[in-house]
Amino acid sequence: MIEILQWTTLIACGAAALSRIPNLVRKKNRSLFYILALMTVAILLSIKGPYMAIDSLLGNTNVANLLLRFIIFAAVYVLGMRIAKGFGDQPGLRLIRGRRGTLVLGLISAAMLVFFALMDSEGSSVGLVGVYAKDERNRALVEYYGAAGRAYPAYVSLAILPGLLRAVRGTLPALLRISALLLAIGGIATILSLFFPVIPAALGYLTFVINYTAILCFVVGLTLIWLAKLRAGRKVTGALSAPD
Amino acid sequence: MPLPAKAFQRWLHGIAPDTSMADVSRLSQVKRTTLAQQLVRGKVAEATVVSISRAFNVNPVAALAYFETYRDLAEPQVPPTPQELVSQIATVDLLRAVIARSAPEAGSGADPGSGAQQAKRPELGPAPHVTSVKNWVDAIDDGELRHRVSAATGIAPQNYSAQLTANRLAPEVAIATSRAAGVGLTGGLVATGLITEAEAGWEPGARQAALDRLSDGELAVLAGDRLQAVGKTLRRQEQDQEQTEKIWENLG
Repeated sequence: MIEILQWTTLIACGAAALSRIPNLVRKKNRSLFYILALMTVAILLSIKGPYMAIDSLLGNTNVANLLLRFIIFAAVYVLGMRIAKGFGDQPGLRLIRGRRGTLVLGLISAAMLVFFALMDSEGSSVGLVGVYAKDERNRALVEYYGAAGRAYPAYVSLAILPGLLRAVRGTLPALLRISALLLAIGGIATILSLFFPVIPAALGYLTFVINYTAILCFVVGLTLIWLAKLRAGRKVTGALSAPD
Repeated sequence: MPLPAKAFQRWLHGIAPDTSMADVSRLSQVKRTTLAQQLVRGKVAEATVVSISRAFNVNPVAALAYFETYRDLAEPQVPPTPQELVSQIATVDLLRAVIARSAPEAGSGADPGSGAQQAKRPELGPAPHVTSVKNWVDAIDDGELRHRVSAATGIAPQNYSAQLTANRLAPEVAIATSRAAGVGLTGGLVATGLITEAEAGWEPGARQAALDRLSDGELAVLAGDRLQAVGKTLRRQEQDQEQTEKIWENLG
Protein backbone atom coordinates (compact mmCIF):
# COMPACT_ATOMS: atom_id res chain seq x y z
CA MET A 1 0.00 0.00 0.00
CA ILE A 2 2.73 2.43 1.05
CA GLU A 3 4.82 1.30 -1.91
CA ILE A 4 1.96 2.23 -4.24
CA LEU A 5 1.67 5.65 -2.62
CA GLN A 6 5.41 6.21 -2.95
CA TRP A 7 5.63 5.21 -6.59
CA THR A 8 2.47 7.12 -7.51
CA THR A 9 3.91 10.24 -5.94
CA LEU A 10 7.21 9.69 -7.71
CA ILE A 11 5.50 9.29 -11.07
CA ALA A 12 3.25 12.31 -10.53
CA CYS A 13 6.15 14.46 -9.46
CA GLY A 14 8.45 13.21 -12.21
CA ALA A 15 5.76 13.77 -14.84
CA ALA A 16 5.19 17.30 -13.55
CA ALA A 17 8.93 17.97 -13.72
CA LEU A 18 9.18 16.56 -17.26
CA SER A 19 6.24 18.67 -18.39
CA ARG A 20 8.17 21.76 -17.33
CA ILE A 21 11.08 20.99 -19.64
CA PRO A 22 9.72 23.07 -22.57
CA ASN A 23 9.50 26.04 -20.22
CA LEU A 24 12.98 25.29 -18.91
CA VAL A 25 14.32 25.48 -22.45
CA ARG A 26 12.40 28.71 -23.04
CA LYS A 27 13.80 30.06 -19.75
CA LYS A 28 10.33 30.70 -18.36
CA ASN A 29 9.98 30.26 -14.60
CA ARG A 30 12.83 27.78 -14.47
CA SER A 31 12.75 27.58 -10.70
CA LEU A 32 9.53 25.61 -10.99
CA PHE A 33 11.34 22.90 -12.90
CA TYR A 34 14.07 22.86 -10.28
CA ILE A 35 11.53 22.57 -7.46
CA LEU A 36 9.82 19.63 -9.14
CA ALA A 37 13.10 17.98 -10.11
CA LEU A 38 14.41 18.31 -6.54
CA MET A 39 11.17 16.90 -5.18
CA THR A 40 11.40 13.98 -7.61
CA VAL A 41 14.92 13.18 -6.46
CA ALA A 42 13.81 13.52 -2.84
CA ILE A 43 11.01 11.00 -3.36
CA LEU A 44 13.38 8.68 -5.17
CA LEU A 45 15.73 8.85 -2.20
CA SER A 46 12.97 8.03 0.24
CA ILE A 47 12.08 4.76 -1.52
CA LYS A 48 14.05 1.76 -0.37
CA GLY A 49 15.49 0.38 -3.64
CA PRO A 50 16.80 3.62 -5.11
CA TYR A 51 18.05 4.73 -1.70
CA MET A 52 20.15 1.61 -1.18
CA ALA A 53 21.59 1.89 -4.68
CA ILE A 54 22.53 5.55 -4.34
CA ASP A 55 23.84 5.23 -0.79
CA SER A 56 26.08 2.32 -1.76
CA LEU A 57 27.65 4.63 -4.35
CA LEU A 58 28.22 7.18 -1.60
CA GLY A 59 29.94 4.68 0.71
CA ASN A 60 27.16 3.00 2.66
CA THR A 61 27.20 5.58 5.44
CA ASN A 62 23.72 7.00 4.90
CA VAL A 63 25.07 10.22 3.45
CA ALA A 64 22.22 9.82 0.98
CA ASN A 65 19.84 10.54 3.85
CA LEU A 66 21.65 13.76 4.64
CA LEU A 67 21.57 14.62 0.96
CA LEU A 68 17.83 13.93 0.93
CA ARG A 69 17.28 16.36 3.80
CA PHE A 70 19.17 19.16 2.11
CA ILE A 71 17.43 18.53 -1.20
CA ILE A 72 14.13 18.89 0.64
CA PHE A 73 15.34 22.11 2.28
CA ALA A 74 16.36 23.56 -1.07
CA ALA A 75 13.06 22.60 -2.71
CA VAL A 76 11.04 23.95 0.21
CA TYR A 77 13.00 27.21 0.30
CA VAL A 78 12.47 27.96 -3.39
CA LEU A 79 8.88 26.75 -3.37
CA GLY A 80 7.99 28.77 -0.29
CA MET A 81 9.53 31.88 -1.76
CA ARG A 82 7.76 31.45 -5.09
CA ILE A 83 4.41 30.86 -3.41
CA ALA A 84 4.79 33.84 -1.09
CA LYS A 85 5.78 36.03 -4.05
CA GLY A 86 3.01 34.74 -6.27
CA PHE A 87 0.29 35.22 -3.70
CA GLY A 88 1.61 38.66 -2.80
CA ASP A 89 2.34 37.63 0.78
CA GLN A 90 5.06 40.06 1.89
CA PRO A 91 5.20 39.00 5.56
CA GLY A 92 5.50 35.37 4.48
CA LEU A 93 8.26 36.24 2.04
CA ARG A 94 10.17 38.11 4.77
CA LEU A 95 9.83 35.12 7.12
CA ILE A 96 11.43 32.86 4.53
CA ARG A 97 14.02 35.11 2.91
CA GLY A 98 14.65 37.69 5.64
CA ARG A 99 17.22 37.53 8.40
CA ARG A 100 15.02 35.36 10.57
CA GLY A 101 14.51 32.85 7.77
CA THR A 102 18.23 32.60 7.08
CA LEU A 103 18.91 32.19 10.79
CA VAL A 104 16.34 29.42 11.14
CA LEU A 105 17.70 27.62 8.08
CA GLY A 106 21.28 27.97 9.32
CA LEU A 107 20.59 26.77 12.83
CA ILE A 108 18.52 23.80 11.71
CA SER A 109 21.09 22.79 9.08
CA ALA A 110 23.92 23.02 11.62
CA ALA A 111 21.98 20.99 14.17
CA MET A 112 21.22 18.36 11.56
CA LEU A 113 24.86 18.09 10.52
CA VAL A 114 25.96 17.78 14.15
CA PHE A 115 23.43 15.05 14.93
CA PHE A 116 24.43 13.21 11.78
CA ALA A 117 28.14 13.46 12.62
CA LEU A 118 27.54 12.20 16.15
CA MET A 119 25.57 9.11 15.14
CA ASP A 120 27.15 5.89 14.00
CA SER A 121 25.74 6.08 10.49
CA GLU A 122 27.49 2.98 9.12
CA GLY A 123 25.25 0.62 7.12
CA SER A 124 22.73 1.86 4.53
CA SER A 125 19.15 1.77 5.68
CA VAL A 126 16.29 3.82 4.34
CA GLY A 127 14.88 6.20 6.95
CA LEU A 128 17.91 5.37 9.16
CA VAL A 129 15.94 2.45 10.62
CA GLY A 130 19.15 0.45 10.99
CA VAL A 131 20.92 3.24 12.84
CA TYR A 132 17.87 3.78 15.02
CA ALA A 133 17.95 0.14 16.08
CA LYS A 134 21.62 0.16 17.09
CA ASP A 135 21.46 1.50 20.65
CA GLU A 136 19.90 4.08 22.95
CA ARG A 137 22.30 6.87 21.97
CA ASN A 138 21.85 6.42 18.24
CA ARG A 139 18.12 6.14 18.68
CA ALA A 140 17.99 9.55 20.37
CA LEU A 141 20.29 11.07 17.75
CA VAL A 142 18.14 9.77 14.90
CA GLU A 143 15.07 11.23 16.61
CA TYR A 144 16.69 14.66 16.93
CA TYR A 145 18.06 14.47 13.42
CA GLY A 146 14.64 13.62 12.04
CA ALA A 147 12.98 16.40 14.05
CA ALA A 148 15.48 18.93 12.69
CA GLY A 149 14.83 17.70 9.16
CA ARG A 150 11.09 18.22 9.56
CA ALA A 151 11.42 21.57 11.34
CA TYR A 152 12.50 23.69 8.38
CA PRO A 153 9.76 22.56 5.96
CA ALA A 154 7.26 23.12 8.78
CA TYR A 155 8.64 26.61 9.38
CA VAL A 156 8.29 27.55 5.71
CA SER A 157 4.80 26.04 5.55
CA LEU A 158 3.75 28.05 8.58
CA ALA A 159 5.10 31.19 6.93
CA ILE A 160 3.10 30.79 3.71
CA LEU A 161 -0.09 29.36 5.22
CA PRO A 162 -1.83 32.67 6.12
CA GLY A 163 -1.34 34.05 2.62
CA LEU A 164 -2.66 30.86 1.03
CA LEU A 165 -5.73 30.76 3.26
CA ARG A 166 -6.43 34.38 2.40
CA ALA A 167 -6.33 33.48 -1.29
CA VAL A 168 -8.68 30.52 -0.72
CA ARG A 169 -11.28 32.80 0.84
CA GLY A 170 -10.75 35.61 -1.69
CA THR A 171 -12.33 36.35 -5.05
CA LEU A 172 -9.71 34.88 -7.36
CA PRO A 173 -10.73 32.56 -10.23
CA ALA A 174 -11.97 29.19 -8.96
CA LEU A 175 -9.06 27.18 -10.32
CA LEU A 176 -6.54 29.37 -8.53
CA ARG A 177 -8.48 29.16 -5.28
CA ILE A 178 -8.51 25.37 -5.55
CA SER A 179 -4.76 25.49 -6.16
CA ALA A 180 -4.30 27.69 -3.11
CA LEU A 181 -6.37 25.23 -1.09
CA LEU A 182 -4.24 22.29 -2.25
CA LEU A 183 -1.04 24.16 -1.43
CA ALA A 184 -2.49 25.05 1.97
CA ILE A 185 -3.36 21.39 2.65
CA GLY A 186 0.19 20.48 1.66
CA GLY A 187 1.44 23.10 4.09
CA ILE A 188 -0.76 21.85 6.91
CA ALA A 189 0.39 18.27 6.30
CA THR A 190 3.99 19.46 6.44
CA ILE A 191 3.35 21.22 9.74
CA LEU A 192 1.64 18.08 11.07
CA SER A 193 4.84 16.15 10.34
CA LEU A 194 6.30 17.90 13.40
CA PHE A 195 4.12 15.63 15.51
CA PHE A 196 5.52 12.39 14.11
CA PRO A 197 7.38 11.53 17.37
CA VAL A 198 4.09 11.36 19.29
CA ILE A 199 2.36 9.11 16.76
CA PRO A 200 2.16 5.61 18.28
CA ALA A 201 4.05 2.89 16.44
CA ALA A 202 0.81 1.12 15.50
CA LEU A 203 -0.22 4.16 13.48
CA GLY A 204 3.19 4.42 11.82
CA TYR A 205 1.64 4.34 8.35
CA LEU A 206 0.18 7.77 9.12
CA THR A 207 3.62 9.33 8.74
CA PHE A 208 3.77 8.06 5.17
CA VAL A 209 0.24 9.22 4.43
CA ILE A 210 0.99 12.70 5.78
CA ASN A 211 4.30 13.01 3.93
CA TYR A 212 2.99 11.92 0.58
CA THR A 213 -0.24 13.88 0.96
CA ALA A 214 1.90 16.97 1.39
CA ILE A 215 3.98 16.27 -1.71
CA LEU A 216 0.98 15.30 -3.86
CA CYS A 217 -0.95 18.40 -2.80
CA PHE A 218 1.99 20.65 -3.65
CA VAL A 219 2.54 19.02 -7.02
CA VAL A 220 -1.13 18.99 -8.03
CA GLY A 221 -1.59 22.54 -6.76
CA LEU A 222 1.34 23.79 -8.84
CA THR A 223 0.15 21.89 -11.89
CA LEU A 224 -3.34 23.38 -11.56
CA ILE A 225 -1.94 26.91 -11.49
CA TRP A 226 -0.05 26.14 -14.63
CA LEU A 227 -3.16 24.65 -16.28
CA ALA A 228 -5.18 27.71 -15.26
CA LYS A 229 -2.60 29.86 -16.97
CA LEU A 230 -2.68 27.77 -20.13
CA ARG A 231 -6.46 27.78 -20.16
CA ALA A 232 -6.93 31.46 -19.53
CA GLY A 233 -8.16 33.29 -22.56
CA ARG A 234 -8.00 36.99 -21.83
CA LYS A 235 -11.64 37.61 -21.11
CA VAL A 236 -12.42 41.16 -20.22
CA THR A 237 -15.65 41.59 -18.31
CA GLY A 238 -16.71 45.11 -19.04
CA ALA A 239 -19.14 46.27 -16.40
CA LEU A 240 -19.13 49.63 -18.11
CA SER A 241 -20.04 48.33 -21.54
CA ALA A 242 -23.64 48.03 -22.59
CA PRO A 243 -25.23 44.57 -22.11
CA ASP A 244 -25.72 43.92 -25.82
CA MET B 1 -37.51 25.05 -5.98
CA PRO B 2 -38.10 23.60 -9.43
CA LEU B 3 -41.52 22.34 -10.46
CA PRO B 4 -42.67 18.75 -10.00
CA ALA B 5 -42.50 16.75 -13.22
CA LYS B 6 -46.00 15.35 -12.77
CA ALA B 7 -47.60 18.78 -12.56
CA PHE B 8 -45.45 19.81 -15.52
CA GLN B 9 -46.76 16.91 -17.62
CA ARG B 10 -50.33 17.85 -16.75
CA TRP B 11 -49.67 21.47 -17.65
CA LEU B 12 -47.97 20.54 -20.91
CA HIS B 13 -50.89 18.31 -21.82
CA GLY B 14 -53.16 21.27 -21.19
CA ILE B 15 -51.40 23.64 -23.58
CA ALA B 16 -50.05 21.19 -26.18
CA PRO B 17 -52.09 18.00 -25.95
CA ASP B 18 -50.90 16.29 -29.12
CA THR B 19 -47.30 17.38 -29.29
CA SER B 20 -44.44 14.98 -28.84
CA MET B 21 -41.57 15.79 -26.49
CA ALA B 22 -39.28 16.05 -29.49
CA ASP B 23 -41.52 18.73 -31.00
CA VAL B 24 -41.86 20.52 -27.68
CA SER B 25 -38.12 20.77 -27.37
CA ARG B 26 -37.71 21.79 -30.99
CA LEU B 27 -40.35 24.53 -30.78
CA SER B 28 -39.22 25.84 -27.40
CA GLN B 29 -35.52 25.44 -28.15
CA VAL B 30 -35.04 23.70 -24.82
CA LYS B 31 -32.42 21.03 -25.47
CA ARG B 32 -33.92 17.57 -25.65
CA THR B 33 -31.37 16.19 -23.24
CA THR B 34 -32.03 19.00 -20.77
CA LEU B 35 -35.75 18.44 -20.90
CA ALA B 36 -35.38 14.67 -20.57
CA GLN B 37 -33.02 15.02 -17.65
CA GLN B 38 -35.33 17.39 -15.81
CA LEU B 39 -38.25 15.02 -16.33
CA VAL B 40 -36.25 12.01 -15.12
CA ARG B 41 -35.14 13.88 -12.02
CA GLY B 42 -38.76 14.89 -11.42
CA LYS B 43 -37.85 18.56 -11.22
CA VAL B 44 -38.51 20.91 -14.09
CA ALA B 45 -36.81 24.30 -14.10
CA GLU B 46 -38.99 27.40 -14.23
CA ALA B 47 -37.00 28.58 -17.25
CA THR B 48 -38.11 25.45 -19.13
CA VAL B 49 -41.77 26.23 -18.47
CA VAL B 50 -41.21 29.82 -19.56
CA SER B 51 -39.53 28.78 -22.82
CA ILE B 52 -42.22 26.24 -23.64
CA SER B 53 -45.06 28.62 -22.82
CA ARG B 54 -43.53 31.21 -25.16
CA ALA B 55 -43.37 28.63 -27.93
CA PHE B 56 -47.08 27.93 -27.53
CA ASN B 57 -48.08 31.59 -27.14
CA VAL B 58 -49.04 31.24 -23.51
CA ASN B 59 -48.08 34.03 -21.13
CA PRO B 60 -45.21 32.69 -18.99
CA VAL B 61 -46.63 34.28 -15.84
CA ALA B 62 -49.93 32.53 -16.39
CA ALA B 63 -48.02 29.32 -17.12
CA LEU B 64 -46.07 29.53 -13.86
CA ALA B 65 -49.29 30.30 -11.99
CA TYR B 66 -50.51 26.82 -12.96
CA PHE B 67 -48.05 25.38 -10.45
CA GLU B 68 -48.66 25.24 -6.72
CA THR B 69 -45.54 27.26 -5.77
CA TYR B 70 -46.51 30.11 -8.05
CA ARG B 71 -50.29 30.10 -7.55
CA ASP B 72 -50.24 33.71 -6.38
CA LEU B 73 -49.08 34.85 -9.81
CA ALA B 74 -52.64 34.18 -11.06
CA GLU B 75 -53.97 37.11 -9.08
CA PRO B 76 -54.09 40.50 -10.78
CA GLN B 77 -50.61 41.91 -10.58
CA VAL B 78 -49.68 45.10 -8.76
CA PRO B 79 -47.86 47.37 -11.24
CA PRO B 80 -44.16 47.97 -10.60
CA THR B 81 -43.11 50.93 -8.48
CA PRO B 82 -41.17 53.78 -10.14
CA GLN B 83 -38.09 52.68 -8.17
CA GLU B 84 -38.38 49.15 -9.54
CA LEU B 85 -38.72 50.50 -13.08
CA VAL B 86 -35.66 52.71 -12.73
CA SER B 87 -33.68 49.86 -11.16
CA GLN B 88 -34.07 47.93 -14.41
CA ILE B 89 -32.36 50.65 -16.43
CA ALA B 90 -28.71 49.83 -17.12
CA THR B 91 -26.10 52.05 -15.47
CA VAL B 92 -24.81 53.20 -18.84
CA ASP B 93 -28.32 54.29 -19.84
CA LEU B 94 -28.66 56.26 -16.59
CA LEU B 95 -25.37 57.98 -17.27
CA ARG B 96 -26.53 58.73 -20.80
CA ALA B 97 -29.65 60.30 -19.34
CA VAL B 98 -27.49 62.51 -17.09
CA ILE B 99 -25.53 63.68 -20.11
CA ALA B 100 -28.63 64.16 -22.24
CA ARG B 101 -30.21 66.33 -19.55
CA SER B 102 -27.17 68.54 -19.24
CA ALA B 103 -26.79 68.92 -23.00
CA PRO B 104 -27.72 72.41 -24.28
CA GLU B 105 -30.90 71.43 -26.15
CA ALA B 106 -32.37 69.89 -22.98
CA GLY B 107 -31.36 72.96 -20.98
CA SER B 108 -33.03 75.37 -23.42
CA GLY B 109 -36.43 74.65 -21.92
CA ALA B 110 -37.58 71.94 -24.31
CA ASP B 111 -40.16 69.61 -22.84
CA PRO B 112 -38.39 66.31 -22.19
CA GLY B 113 -41.52 64.42 -23.24
CA SER B 114 -41.95 66.18 -26.57
CA GLY B 115 -41.98 64.20 -29.79
CA ALA B 116 -38.75 65.64 -31.16
CA GLN B 117 -36.91 64.79 -27.97
CA GLN B 118 -38.34 61.28 -27.96
CA ALA B 119 -37.12 60.58 -31.47
CA LYS B 120 -33.58 61.71 -30.71
CA ARG B 121 -33.32 59.88 -27.42
CA PRO B 122 -31.47 56.55 -27.59
CA GLU B 123 -33.53 53.51 -26.67
CA LEU B 124 -33.02 52.07 -23.21
CA GLY B 125 -31.33 48.69 -23.25
CA PRO B 126 -33.76 45.89 -22.42
CA ALA B 127 -34.08 44.60 -18.84
CA PRO B 128 -32.29 42.82 -17.26
CA HIS B 129 -28.85 44.43 -17.18
CA VAL B 130 -25.59 43.28 -15.59
CA THR B 131 -26.47 44.36 -12.04
CA SER B 132 -30.25 44.31 -12.32
CA VAL B 133 -30.90 41.82 -9.51
CA LYS B 134 -28.97 43.73 -6.88
CA ASN B 135 -30.33 47.06 -8.10
CA TRP B 136 -33.87 45.72 -7.96
CA VAL B 137 -33.51 44.53 -4.36
CA ASP B 138 -31.86 47.81 -3.39
CA ALA B 139 -34.78 49.66 -5.00
CA ILE B 140 -37.40 47.89 -2.88
CA ASP B 141 -35.31 47.51 0.29
CA ASP B 142 -36.54 49.45 3.32
CA GLY B 143 -33.47 48.43 5.30
CA GLU B 144 -34.95 45.28 6.81
CA LEU B 145 -35.88 43.45 3.62
CA ARG B 146 -32.92 41.04 3.60
CA HIS B 147 -33.74 39.93 7.15
CA ARG B 148 -37.37 39.34 6.30
CA VAL B 149 -36.50 37.37 3.16
CA SER B 150 -34.00 35.35 5.13
CA ALA B 151 -36.62 34.59 7.79
CA ALA B 152 -39.27 33.72 5.20
CA THR B 153 -37.13 31.49 3.00
CA GLY B 154 -34.52 30.18 5.42
CA ILE B 155 -31.69 31.37 3.19
CA ALA B 156 -28.69 32.68 5.13
CA PRO B 157 -28.23 36.44 4.60
CA GLN B 158 -24.69 36.01 3.29
CA ASN B 159 -25.87 33.45 0.70
CA TYR B 160 -28.64 35.81 -0.34
CA SER B 161 -26.15 38.65 -0.73
CA ALA B 162 -23.81 36.40 -2.70
CA GLN B 163 -26.66 35.59 -5.11
CA LEU B 164 -27.43 39.27 -5.57
CA THR B 165 -23.79 40.07 -6.26
CA ALA B 166 -23.69 37.28 -8.83
CA ASN B 167 -26.80 38.85 -10.43
CA ARG B 168 -28.81 35.67 -9.76
CA LEU B 169 -31.86 34.84 -7.73
CA ALA B 170 -33.92 31.65 -7.78
CA PRO B 171 -37.44 32.44 -9.01
CA GLU B 172 -39.17 31.49 -5.78
CA VAL B 173 -36.71 33.57 -3.77
CA ALA B 174 -37.37 36.48 -6.13
CA ILE B 175 -41.08 36.13 -5.43
CA ALA B 176 -40.48 35.80 -1.69
CA THR B 177 -38.47 39.03 -1.92
CA SER B 178 -41.32 40.82 -3.70
CA ARG B 179 -43.75 39.56 -1.11
CA ALA B 180 -41.54 40.65 1.79
CA ALA B 181 -41.21 44.10 0.23
CA GLY B 182 -44.92 44.37 -0.50
CA VAL B 183 -44.48 45.03 -4.23
CA GLY B 184 -45.81 43.27 -7.34
CA LEU B 185 -44.70 39.65 -7.54
CA THR B 186 -43.22 39.69 -11.03
CA GLY B 187 -40.59 42.42 -10.54
CA GLY B 188 -37.90 39.99 -9.45
CA LEU B 189 -38.69 37.64 -12.32
CA VAL B 190 -38.01 40.50 -14.73
CA ALA B 191 -34.85 41.50 -12.88
CA THR B 192 -33.53 37.94 -13.07
CA GLY B 193 -34.39 37.76 -16.75
CA LEU B 194 -36.81 34.84 -16.37
CA ILE B 195 -39.57 36.84 -18.04
CA THR B 196 -39.58 40.04 -20.06
CA GLU B 197 -41.08 43.37 -19.02
CA ALA B 198 -43.90 42.92 -21.47
CA GLU B 199 -44.70 39.45 -20.13
CA ALA B 200 -44.83 40.90 -16.63
CA GLY B 201 -47.40 43.40 -17.88
CA TRP B 202 -45.15 46.44 -17.64
CA GLU B 203 -46.32 49.22 -19.95
CA PRO B 204 -44.03 49.77 -22.95
CA GLY B 205 -41.93 52.80 -22.15
CA ALA B 206 -42.72 52.54 -18.44
CA ARG B 207 -39.04 52.54 -17.53
CA GLN B 208 -38.37 55.56 -19.72
CA ALA B 209 -41.32 57.37 -18.16
CA ALA B 210 -40.09 56.58 -14.65
CA LEU B 211 -36.66 57.84 -15.65
CA ASP B 212 -38.15 61.05 -17.01
CA ARG B 213 -40.03 61.62 -13.76
CA LEU B 214 -36.79 61.59 -11.75
CA SER B 215 -35.66 65.08 -10.77
CA ASP B 216 -32.17 66.09 -11.84
CA GLY B 217 -30.98 65.67 -8.28
CA GLU B 218 -32.48 62.19 -7.90
CA LEU B 219 -31.00 61.10 -11.21
CA ALA B 220 -27.58 62.49 -10.35
CA VAL B 221 -27.50 60.73 -6.98
CA LEU B 222 -28.76 57.46 -8.43
CA ALA B 223 -26.30 57.55 -11.34
CA GLY B 224 -23.54 58.44 -8.89
CA ASP B 225 -24.35 55.48 -6.64
CA ARG B 226 -24.44 53.14 -9.60
CA LEU B 227 -21.18 54.47 -10.98
CA GLN B 228 -19.55 54.03 -7.61
CA ALA B 229 -20.73 50.42 -7.45
CA VAL B 230 -19.39 49.82 -10.96
CA GLY B 231 -16.10 51.39 -9.94
CA LYS B 232 -15.84 49.08 -6.94
CA THR B 233 -16.55 46.01 -9.03
CA LEU B 234 -14.06 47.03 -11.70
CA ARG B 235 -11.43 47.82 -9.09
CA ARG B 236 -11.89 44.40 -7.50
CA GLN B 237 -11.67 42.71 -10.88
CA GLU B 238 -8.50 44.61 -11.66
CA GLN B 239 -6.96 43.66 -8.34
CA ASP B 240 -7.86 40.03 -8.89
CA GLN B 241 -6.39 40.23 -12.36
CA GLU B 242 -3.17 41.71 -11.01
CA GLN B 243 -2.98 39.04 -8.34
CA THR B 244 -3.68 36.32 -10.90
CA GLU B 245 -0.93 37.57 -13.16
CA LYS B 246 1.48 37.68 -10.25
CA ILE B 247 0.68 34.07 -9.41
CA TRP B 248 1.25 33.05 -13.01
CA GLU B 249 4.41 35.04 -13.22
CA ASN B 250 5.83 33.23 -10.20
CA LEU B 251 4.21 29.83 -10.34
CA GLY B 252 2.84 29.37 -13.86
